[in-house]
Amino acid sequence: MAYILQQLLSKSAARFPEKTAVWARGRSLSYRELDERSNQLAQLLVESGVRKGDRVGLFFPKCVESLISIFAVLKAGGVYVPLDPQAPVDRVGYIISNCGIRVLITQEEKRRALDAATRESLDRCVVVGEAKESTTRESSNGSGVVPWSALAQFPASRGPAVSVIETDLAYILYTSGSTGRPKGVMLTHQNALTFVEWCAEKFHVTSEDRLSNHAPLHFDLSVFDVYNAMEAGATVYLVTEEIALFPTTLQKFIETHQITVWYSVPSALVLLLLHADLKAERLPHLRTILFAGEVFPMKYLKQLSELLPAVELDNLYGPTETNVCTYYRVDRERLAGMDKLPIGIACENTEVFAVNDQDQIVTKPGESGELYVRGPAVTYGYWGDEEKTKKMVVANRFQKNFEEKMYRTGDLVTLAEDGNYYFVGRRDSMIKSRGYRIELGEIESALLSHPGVREAAAIAVPDEVVGNRIKAFVAAHERESLLAAELQHHCGTRIPKYMIPEFIEFRESLPKTSTGKVDRVGLARESQPVTV
Amino acid sequence: MTTQETTIKDQIRQFVNDELAAAKGVTVTSDDESLIDNGVVDSLGIFRLVTFLEENFGVKVGDEEISAENLQSVNVIEQLVLSKAKKK
Repeated sequence: MAYILQQLLSKSAARFPEKTAVWARGRSLSYRELDERSNQLAQLLVESGVRKGDRVGLFFPKCVESLISIFAVLKAGGVYVPLDPQAPVDRVGYIISNCGIRVLITQEEKRRALDAATRESLDRCVVVGEAKESTTRESSNGSGVVPWSALAQFPASRGPAVSVIETDLAYILYTSGSTGRPKGVMLTHQNALTFVEWCAEKFHVTSEDRLSNHAPLHFDLSVFDVYNAMEAGATVYLVTEEIALFPTTLQKFIETHQITVWYSVPSALVLLLLHADLKAERLPHLRTILFAGEVFPMKYLKQLSELLPAVELDNLYGPTETNVCTYYRVDRERLAGMDKLPIGIACENTEVFAVNDQDQIVTKPGESGELYVRGPAVTYGYWGDEEKTKKMVVANRFQKNFEEKMYRTGDLVTLAEDGNYYFVGRRDSMIKSRGYRIELGEIESALLSHPGVREAAAIAVPDEVVGNRIKAFVAAHERESLLAAELQHHCGTRIPKYMIPEFIEFRESLPKTSTGKVDRVGLARESQPVTV
Repeated sequence: MTTQETTIKDQIRQFVNDELAAAKGVTVTSDDESLIDNGVVDSLGIFRLVTFLEENFGVKVGDEEISAENLQSVNVIEQLVLSKAKKK
């Protein structure tokens, strides 16, 4: 049994050296090639100063080098931090400084886009892709930029000798933070493997399978795609933006690569339903669809189930802090009569329970409470944020015999008669759009950082396809001088594109609740779903 | 013909900038710039763009044609519209 993630690759490389491990953008790598290239890059990272526990950033669009980089960082004993290649420079710079990244694997174009202070804070950049003359020149000057071709000077047969155990960190995923800055969820090898091993058994992934990877690598859905493919000796096909955005192209991708197991947010499937030609006879190889990240609208789930009657459908639920903690396998006989989809029951080796307002564990059907999670999948907490960690990863007060932590999800759930949990809502102002976690507070912070803004409130407008769209209400210091486009542009320098309010409405002042806070609920009530 | 082509391209550029790029906090500065790589279009934006082309230029864009090859930049979108207008 593997206890650290890189063992999944080395074991499959020994069993299936010539099998394709990964495909992206028309290029592929066999298990042997992936193992050898990551051995070489791992040595280059060690030579660049990476030591056990050091954070290494990955900042480039998805390609086969993404997997080489992930495994190289792990083999070097490091902790990889996938950075959204489309995120604003300011946010990327914040993350690099927040978790102390000194070595970055990137593209020349991306490296140049970073601000000077961030560039100077890095000891070394390993540049993916063909070496340009300028890169080679800079590296020979000793400025810390190393071309990908430098891998060739290291032996391919083995990685560095570093001892890592399952409770060491493997990766950090940054997610929206309510106080205006993203927070880094720390995940260990054990956290990831708890989920990967459960999936391997539950979904019977074999070396014959062809998995898709639709989610970006900084999104935890990708953990299944990458590591369950490696665990089984299967092939993972990376879906890049120019495929993901176009339903017909995406459907052809699934057909051409004979994808057997698909995993994505529901909105990606809804777009396929609405704009592609989903038919069982066109997708004879597809056997399992997993979805997570947001609530699947029942209307569309029923359509999907009818169009692909032989495909198993599973709803996975869980915040990044626990990866996945509950699941529900769609029961087709019950589906027609259902008006809401359960998040289901706990995954094996994970325990979940709801805690009501009286601080008691919910045991009776019909009762609601906040969902708590305990077990080896639960995060240590947030990088460098003790306060936030203490709030969310708390001592398990329901048993007194030993010290143990549990994670409070902030999700309100109801326990049903059949033992399944149903998601009811949030305790706070976190929302989901296209499966992305968005803290409305982070958007408001971005708006308020504009000198012309006096008050700001962000609200979610429910949308059938993407879950939620974002609208903001703004009271400006001088209304005449401020434009929506200017504010959106300002937001674009601080928060990712999927968080920028699509609609901005100006008000003289914003309504307040009795406690003097901006009345988001009232504003949301005024805003009917938007149609475009 | 030249004026008509300029007009079509101007309208496309204006729609892309005002209706799609602005809400993403960016400005498209070149007609060859990839709207996909720079994040100007998202999954909903693609369909708003198609609706705009259909309503403004009286062309029909089939689901099969909604692809990166046909919609990745202002210049490429203009070519799509022109090729469709000729066929009419």
